[in-house]
Amino acid sequence: MLILNGGKEMQNAETSGEKNVLLSIQNIHKSFGLNQVLKGINMKLREGEVLSLIGGNGAGKSTLMKIIMGIYQPDEGCIYMKGSQVHLTKPSVALANGIYMVPQEPMLFPNMTVEQNIIIGFEEKPAELRKRLIAQMEEVGWKMDLNRKASSLSIAEQQLVEILRGLLRQARILILDEPTSALTFDEAESLFKCVNDLRSRGIGIIYITHRLAEVFEISTSVAIMRDGIITLSGKVSEFTKEALVKGLLPADSEKEKEEAEETGHEIDYKNQNPVLELRDFSGYGFNNISLKLYPGEILGVAGVVGAGRTELATTIFGMDEVLGGKVILDGKDITGLSTRKVLEAGLNYVPEDRHLHGLFKIADVARNTTSALLSEKSMGRFLLNRKKEKEVTQKYIDDFRIKVTGQTQLAGSLSGGNQQKIVIGRSLSTGPKVVILDEPTRGIDAGARGDVYSIIHHLRKQGVSVLLISSDMEELVELSDRVVSVFQGRINAEFRKADINQDNLMAAAFDVKTEKGVGA
Amino acid sequence: MKGRKFLSWEMFLLIILILEFVIFGAKNPKFLMPRVLFASVNDFIAICFIALFVTFVMITGGIDIQAASIVGLTSIIIGVGWQDGGMNIWVASILAIVAAAVCGALSGFFIAYCGVQAMVVTLGGSFLYAGFALLVSNFSASEAYQGISGFPDSFKIISKFKLFGVIPSQLLVFIVLIIIAYILLHRTKYGRSIFLVGINQEAAEYSGINTRLVILSTYVLSAVSAALAGIMLTSYLGTAKSDLGANLTLNIITAVVLGGTLSTGGKGSVIGTALAALVIGILRFGLSLCFRVNTQYLDIPVGVLLLVVVIGRAIVSRPETAAFFKKLKKES
Amino acid sequence: MKYIKKLTKAREFSSLLFLIVLFAIVGCININFLAPSSIAACFNDSVVFTLLAVGMAFAIFIGEIDVSVGANLGFTASVVGSLLRDGYNWMFCFAVGILIGAAIGLINGFGVAVLKIPSLIFTLGTNGILRGLIYVYTNGAWVENLPAPFTAFAAKPLLANLTVFYTVTILAVIVIHILLTRTKKGKYFIAVGDNEGGALLVGIPTTRTKITAYVLCGVFAAVASILYASRIGFITAIAGNGYEMKAIAACVIGGISLSGGLGSVIGASIGAVIMSSVSRILVFMGFSSDYDNTITGVMLITIVVLDALMQRNAAERIRRERLKARAANVSGGKGGEQA
Repeated sequence: MLILNGGKEMQNAETSGEKNVLLSIQNIHKSFGLNQVLKGINMKLREGEVLSLIGGNGAGKSTLMKIIMGIYQPDEGCIYMKGSQVHLTKPSVALANGIYMVPQEPMLFPNMTVEQNIIIGFEEKPAELRKRLIAQMEEVGWKMDLNRKASSLSIAEQQLVEILRGLLRQARILILDEPTSALTFDEAESLFKCVNDLRSRGIGIIYITHRLAEVFEISTSVAIMRDGIITLSGKVSEFTKEALVKGLLPADSEKEKEEAEETGHEIDYKNQNPVLELRDFSGYGFNNISLKLYPGEILGVAGVVGAGRTELATTIFGMDEVLGGKVILDGKDITGLSTRKVLEAGLNYVPEDRHLHGLFKIADVARNTTSALLSEKSMGRFLLNRKKEKEVTQKYIDDFRIKVTGQTQLAGSLSGGNQQKIVIGRSLSTGPKVVILDEPTRGIDAGARGDVYSIIHHLRKQGVSVLLISSDMEELVELSDRVVSVFQGRINAEFRKADINQDNLMAAAFDVKTEKGVGA
Repeated sequence: MKGRKFLSWEMFLLIILILEFVIFGAKNPKFLMPRVLFASVNDFIAICFIALFVTFVMITGGIDIQAASIVGLTSIIIGVGWQDGGMNIWVASILAIVAAAVCGALSGFFIAYCGVQAMVVTLGGSFLYAGFALLVSNFSASEAYQGISGFPDSFKIISKFKLFGVIPSQLLVFIVLIIIAYILLHRTKYGRSIFLVGINQEAAEYSGINTRLVILSTYVLSAVSAALAGIMLTSYLGTAKSDLGANLTLNIITAVVLGGTLSTGGKGSVIGTALAALVIGILRFGLSLCFRVNTQYLDIPVGVLLLVVVIGRAIVSRPETAAFFKKLKKES
Repeated sequence: MKYIKKLTKAREFSSLLFLIVLFAIVGCININFLAPSSIAACFNDSVVFTLLAVGMAFAIFIGEIDVSVGANLGFTASVVGSLLRDGYNWMFCFAVGILIGAAIGLINGFGVAVLKIPSLIFTLGTNGILRGLIYVYTNGAWVENLPAPFTAFAAKPLLANLTVFYTVTILAVIVIHILLTRTKKGKYFIAVGDNEGGALLVGIPTTRTKITAYVLCGVFAAVASILYASRIGFITAIAGNGYEMKAIAACVIGGISLSGGLGSVIGASIGAVIMSSVSRILVFMGFSSDYDNTITGVMLITIVVLDALMQRNAAERIRRERLKARAANVSGGKGGEQA
């Protein structure tokens, strides 16, 4: 008996002994068609443990979570819960086993009330469930109007509703997928408290995040996922931030980083006029923003998610209504102009979410690169100038070292870094004087990141000014000549070269007063 | 340009067309007689005209099921305008085209600027514009079922003219329309913006494209193509009827989908649609001539063709299928 | 009191109000319209559309559409009618009809839910095939000489002036509404249309729910076809032409959202009555019935556009309020930590 099922027996013996192992994942493989996403994942989650799972986009985290949740089935490998094997063939099975996932984007039913959203799918009578729900809410200390329609809730409130769903189901394993990506500071704190509370009750939590700060704040253990396998894991106390970052980078990233080093650069603030000026600019999500951007300057815009930076950018770009103030580009008033006119005036914007707003996935590289040029004469008066299109595309492929098999490769099949390069290339193709970059290196591996930094420096050499919106403090420090910080829709600090460091920026982003005071 | 895969689909359609000729020709040699073959064009030329421009609409991710009603509307406007309004026949025709464009713009407006689903608006539109046609016919002295006839020869000639005595003018107009549609969709900046809007409307907005105007314009184009089809049909039949073109919708949509256009938008080809329209038209004609299939039954093979194409495409595009074939290759 | 408030806010209430106001206005013009038999006729006439609309509602709840119900009605009516004419037992005939409807629904459901083909395209295809099949089955001839007791039953009254058909239908609608809103599985339909991904995550069997919705839609169309045969007395080859559009219009008028996830079968049935009433009113006022479809088209487009605009405005307003709140919340910020 012991010899027959060799490996399996061994595994059973190993896991059956550890009864407090809520979840044990062994050797999970998963491919989609020809694309191998998971190449042998091994992971354990114990009671009362908060396991942070970090990794770049495309590492396979979502896929793994969906397998745990029963949405996908693994091609190979087994999952054990408390020592016995489980077959999570569909979500209802996972739910029955006490697993619940709070997705990154809350998936509530917008036309149903909060209460209906939480109790849907249960067998018991609504009256009973309501009693349990109210008791549960009191236990965690949340107040919420159960009769509100889900469509009227803020993202944070929606997230709380999702978590309540998990609690009401008496989930033993809770998966939180980037829960703070849409939360304000207060809301995030509230969430951390909740997580700690759940932990103390023996619930196991898998916490997916991009933010290393959170890893140290809230987790007991950490696992790094890259390219479909877990490269590092262990108790969080065994790691430093640098060690984590190293675990995330591919082996040959060192030399890329060197190339991104930049020699000193001086901006003449006294004798030049600003190329972009915002005067008391107000819109939905921000108020009375005044700032100046000078030729050849990189102005960093720091702040937490929800501070209003993206709204500022999209309003400048003509995508939302202006409530007050002015935008002056190189002496010309472009306040409230349509996107096309803003483009023609010389300002371009690289959106925050390239998948949603930036890419034409089923179109090829050439079409993606030249999409903003369609209104220009250079691309032909009426007929499309195909030759010009090829030239422009090739120029960016060469200059940016974009890895493609040819101009006809579909944008959707490129890596995140190369996709971002194309979107940036497109924003430069109109020959703008100012480019607004919104989280340009989000979800990109470190190698491409270096390339993007080179591109940004390259821009500066050409005299293009950059407004760099980023939540990555390191990035801001490395690239910016000056940094302004936006907090809850207003500028609350400005830093010049010497004062630009991660501590100051982080403090300003959270509107925390340092010894030096919050300057403006 | 996204060339290779697409070329093979159009090749595939061409092969089917040739197969049809072979099979139908073998069954009944009369089928291959130029006189007969070219005459058949009249039966399905409306589908050809309209499908070309409904392609534009579907590439943006929309759909147009009102075009068939606009054919009848055009026809009756010409009839009533000429007979009861005393207009010059050409003026009436231009009026009809303008009316069609307005109908297209109206629906296009609701779809593009009010955010209503294309299917519903054009579904309502199909009945609304058929109703308009009925309204217009009530202005006429003639009975609705009779239709209006007695058009001047100069009008009738546009559908009776034959190049070299054989090739009907309808086919010539079709070829001209194909060229125009091809250049417009695949060679101009406007056409490129149609594709981009269909692939990702948001990203197109961020690229400075006026997406809503682009979407609206496609409905105007498709309505105008319906008007042209209406003029051609009215001229050929010599009668203006308000219910002309009543059952074309299934055939039009099938032609567009068969031609390689994705119903979710972003992909499509004028040549593909043109070939597909011919495939469907010849199929209908061949079945009725060579196999004596009753005209009323002809929707069945077209419906089956539509389902086979979309089902086949759904299965083939699944990643599991690619993996399956790769496995087969490995094992062999 | 709170319940009454909630009730009045419901879209179905405003549809009902619209119906009452419509009757009142026409009544002012010509009092004969308000005679009990006349009003009852509005309801009785709507029975076929009510059934079609309720079936269509299932397809729309899950966020899809079914444009083959008209052809379904025509085909099933032809088959059932011809079997009745040829003397088969009526229970047998009805069973055959229901089976046909269910089979059509199953095919549609399979194409949309399993093969994931866009529902408009797929049901357009089945619509075309069914339309052709009607001709194949009947050779283009009318199905006539249906047994007298069958056709006479259509006019049989049950409650006040309302026919057995309509009364039973309405009771069925109420029962279905209760099942859909109060049972665990009944809520699945609306949930799938409201957010399919979310429904999957809470364990709802989305594929099965979608197929069930289409089967129900087909079955309701079959039942409608039986009542249609009984009421009209003969079936032509173009029976049911355009009925899918009327069913969709009835749903929309009754407050069902075409993107799915919102609405009720009660609303669908009110919408059906409104449409029948409009038809009767046109005839009553001396207009040609030709305009029936035009008016329906206008109503459909108007309501759908208004709905879309209202929803967009509401969504935009909420977004802007949220953004404004975030930016205005200066004092609520966290300034406590010391560096």
